[in-house]
Amino acid sequence: MVNRILHIIAKDFRVEFRQKHAIAGILLFAVTVVFIVFKTFNTFTSQEWALLLWILVLFSGINAVVKSFLQESKGTYLYYYTLLDPVEVVLSKLVYNFLLCFVLFLVILGCMALFSGYPVRDHVLFFSSSLLGLAGISIVYTMISALAATGGHSGTLMSILSLPLVLPVLLLLIKTTAVALGLLTDSTVSTDLLLLAGIDGVLISICLILFPIVWKS
Amino acid sequence: MMRQWWWKISGVLILLYTIILGLLTPLKPGIVKIHNTQVTSGEVAEIEIVGYNTHFDEASQNKAYLRLENEKYLPSTNAISHSFNEITYIFDIPHFPESGEKIVVASLIINNEIDGSAVLPASVFIQQAPVPGAIHEGAFIDNLSGLVDPGWSFRFPYRSILHETIRNTFFHITLWFSMFIMLGTGVFYAIRYLKYRRVNDDLKSRALTSVSVLFGLLGLITGSIWARFTWGTWWTPDVKLNMTAVAMLIYLAYFVLRSSIKDQDQEARLASVYNVFAFVALIPLVFVIPRLTDSLHPGSGGNPALGGEDLDNTLRLVFYPAILGFTLLGIWMTSLYYRILNVKEKLLEKT
Repeated sequence: MVNRILHIIAKDFRVEFRQKHAIAGILLFAVTVVFIVFKTFNTFTSQEWALLLWILVLFSGINAVVKSFLQESKGTYLYYYTLLDPVEVVLSKLVYNFLLCFVLFLVILGCMALFSGYPVRDHVLFFSSSLLGLAGISIVYTMISALAATGGHSGTLMSILSLPLVLPVLLLLIKTTAVALGLLTDSTVSTDLLLLAGIDGVLISICLILFPIVWKS
Repeated sequence: MMRQWWWKISGVLILLYTIILGLLTPLKPGIVKIHNTQVTSGEVAEIEIVGYNTHFDEASQNKAYLRLENEKYLPSTNAISHSFNEITYIFDIPHFPESGEKIVVASLIINNEIDGSAVLPASVFIQQAPVPGAIHEGAFIDNLSGLVDPGWSFRFPYRSILHETIRNTFFHITLWFSMFIMLGTGVFYAIRYLKYRRVNDDLKSRALTSVSVLFGLLGLITGSIWARFTWGTWWTPDVKLNMTAVAMLIYLAYFVLRSSIKDQDQEARLASVYNVFAFVALIPLVFVIPRLTDSLHPGSGGNPALGGEDLDNTLRLVFYPAILGFTLLGIWMTSLYYRILNVKEKLLEKT
């Protein structure tokens, strides 16, 4: 099963690199937006830095994930449907989208660091909370993109459905990032990390239960 | 059972009981305002207060006590009532150098035979005079056995910020409770639809979710009005409030999802999946996160939670039936909406 999941992920990457314009477009979008934001603000405080980082990741993440169930034709999906277990499909999509979001996060982080400095103090906390938060974001996005893709109007539906659902994760993330940046001192930040992990766990299990139902159509 | 009348009638009767008892029961007497809060030891202090629902002029045994931190009480020597809600208490404040602090904080307790007692915590600041005079050891008493009790009467407690708006407990909070009960039932029917694929279950889930969103919006409105009177603004950056606004957005998106899908079977399936997913995402949103960060709501930030001292027995007597009443009303509304949806479905099948 792990083998097959890895195969699907590898295939997704190959498809992605074959259509270089798509991934290049997303990355270019991220870089452009960071640049526009930088030019309008010129200098940020650390608080604005944290907020902008996550908002940019959130919006470019939607653009990246929305096509995860659209880039191949209906025939291909019928082929997968006969061949694969839905749990394997969704797990591979989850891992793939998580990696995609992580790459986006790194690119945006790099651009922001280049333009306006890198105010992170507690690196371990920053990266661990970011990884957990990105996991949560990519789980919600994957599930909703599957829903939106079967529903038809994927673009608008995706952002309407997923943004409010992603908010609890985002609020926790902004808080932990603020702690990592030294804006807040909070001794209960480990509870926040645990809570993030808990939300991820709940979301992933509900996603695994519900995806097979969506997959049938 | 759904077609019978008894539960609808009892729901309406319970709501009538809630409205009549909840709005007409008077509040217990309380202290609205205290004029001179700074007194100096060794002086004869006049403390003038404005009361609420009090009968100072009719009562003959007006007496006040200053409760110090070391469980000692200083009784007033005299009381002059000006009207039903204005009174001046006179205290002969002694020197008490045993607590080495410069300023001692005291709570004011007032008492008479008509209104019973009322407390304003940490309201009087007693400053130690620079030159200590004679110490009256006998000025303090150890307990409040001298309080006169007017006997029990059915009244809601008086809380300093809430005042009369404490009655909103029966509407704002109960609307949330019944909203969650109905949302949970809606998710139950969504799961049942996904399991057995019966259209009826999906229609029930949809009707329940619609009515819960209506209740949620009403809860937001009543909360907003309440916030205007207690915290001073219509909208605060309070976590719980904003989380609930997001919850409403999630469920409004549910209706967008429903209306955007043409195929009926697919609509039912995707909407049920989204309903379950949204409910799971809502749990940390509304219940877990507000407990982690500060909130103005009870349950965090030093505010006591429901079931603590916040809700006293007289309030409970109205509050719990009100939850039942609003839930029954909601179920009635749901059953009506469900029947409309069902008829529409049948008409659609015919054409």
